[in-house]
Amino acid sequence: MKTKGDIAKVLIFIGTIFLFNPQIKAQAKLDSLKIKLPKHYFKTVINVDGYRKASQAFADTNDFLAKRLKTYGLNQFSLSFYTPIITDTEVDTVKHITKNTHILITGNYMRLQPVFNNIKQHDLVKMGVGMRFIFNTGKKAVWFFDVSPFVTRDVTYPSEAYFRMASTIVYSYNVSEKFNWRVGATKSFMWGNKNYWPFLGIRIGRLDKTNLSIQFPRSINLNVPIGPKWTLSAYTKPQGGMYNFSNHDSLYYIGNDATFSYTRYELNTGFRADLRMNDKFNFYFAFGTSSKNNITFYSEKANKDKPKLPPYKTYFFSQNLGPTLFINCGMTFKFGKTRTFYKDRNMYDVMDLNNTIDVGDNNNGIGNPQIPITPKSKKDVNLNSIQDLIDYNDF
Amino acid sequence: MKHIAKIIILTCLFFWSGYSFAQTPKDKVEALRVSFISQRLELTNSESEKFWPVYNEYNDKIKAIKKNLRQSYKKGVDNLSNKEAEELYQLDIKSKQAETEVHTQYAQKIKDIIGVKKFVKLRVAEEEFKLEIIKNIKDKSD
Repeated sequence: MKTKGDIAKVLIFIGTIFLFNPQIKAQAKLDSLKIKLPKHYFKTVINVDGYRKASQAFADTNDFLAKRLKTYGLNQFSLSFYTPIITDTEVDTVKHITKNTHILITGNYMRLQPVFNNIKQHDLVKMGVGMRFIFNTGKKAVWFFDVSPFVTRDVTYPSEAYFRMASTIVYSYNVSEKFNWRVGATKSFMWGNKNYWPFLGIRIGRLDKTNLSIQFPRSINLNVPIGPKWTLSAYTKPQGGMYNFSNHDSLYYIGNDATFSYTRYELNTGFRADLRMNDKFNFYFAFGTSSKNNITFYSEKANKDKPKLPPYKTYFFSQNLGPTLFINCGMTFKFGKTRTFYKDRNMYDVMDLNNTIDVGDNNNGIGNPQIPITPKSKKDVNLNSIQDLIDYNDF
Repeated sequence: MKHIAKIIILTCLFFWSGYSFAQTPKDKVEALRVSFISQRLELTNSESEKFWPVYNEYNDKIKAIKKNLRQSYKKGVDNLSNKEAEELYQLDIKSKQAETEVHTQYAQKIKDIIGVKKFVKLRVAEEEFKLEIIKNIKDKSD
């Protein structure tokens, strides 16, 4: 029931943002006609994502907890959003460079259900509100900064909440439309532990065409657009995180903590199809194999009592499981009118950065729903669709 | 998980039902036009990075002016009072002036970025695209 309360809080928060969204108000006037033009390049985007990993038995039959828990699988639901709050565009009239700065608010609610065959279902909630700052230099480079603080809690039973924060800084350089490299640093929990990683990325191929994108430590993607609506991808990426787990079932038998930490990660390799149904809605579906499956339990108190050890090394249960199958599907809703940025290489990169480093350190990957893909046919063309282009005299 | 699946299926059905009247053709024409112009202009890397942000901004403004005028006429003209007709007339004049102002302002910027020869090419490419689209519609209606 507490989960419902949390969902309500998130929905109220999102609703409040929409109510006071500056995107609706912050529009520039066009001289004497008082025409309002969109100010932002980013739409407000809400993503709903469901992920399921099949249950499998623990291979280690000697471990006390493995025997007790028997099997392990995952159900995950997440709701995330980003919305632009400030967009500042500056035109250098001498060099003819258009620079822009974007500040976005991000939010994320995740409910994770680790499925153990032999104990009652636990619902683990992770939620947070963050902020990201993106600066497009107007030449070849884009700067990206993200902070995603979040709170995790086991809402099934009374338990403590923990505060954590993921963050990323990236410098992205567009050598050409077809080649981009990125360098930076990230503090992430997606490999199941608090890790400070370098961020290294390259992309070969245009973002609106077939491209190979390697973004360490986040993902490797081969994206193939099939017409203007479908994109097929082959990918591999880690998914994971750190959560709090109530000791209601006395799984932590060494100490007497009411709450202990549960971390998980897996490496998902699979295929994904993205469908752009219209300018407001996208849908995606993915499936594949989940390997390097790891689950670890540890006591925060025991860790603190041994300060010389690296963080989170003192665990009382850690198991690696064999490969299994996963499915993932999601929907993306896009709201608001924006400025157009056709063929604007840097703005495409801005959009791609924002979606590669997705909201809340979940590594869901919502795709690139705002980057336009050029259609090949003209069969949908009708008079209504070209009324801004032609005059009566053109006929 | 079952609830999530239900929500996803219902939402998909809802959006699928609205798919036929989604406003994709306009976006499609815009994307086609940009692609057509891009091929014709053969911009260098350096020209491209400066040209497209300015050209997009120019188009946003022209489209906004045209849309504003079109919407004013959409309210109906059969039962207009003299005052309302005068207002529409003034709006029409102002809109044309605004279009000219925007065009003059951005033409200079675009010329500075891509040079006068490619600027002329751009105008020709825009016209050619219009003719191609009109031909396409004519062929479909025949």
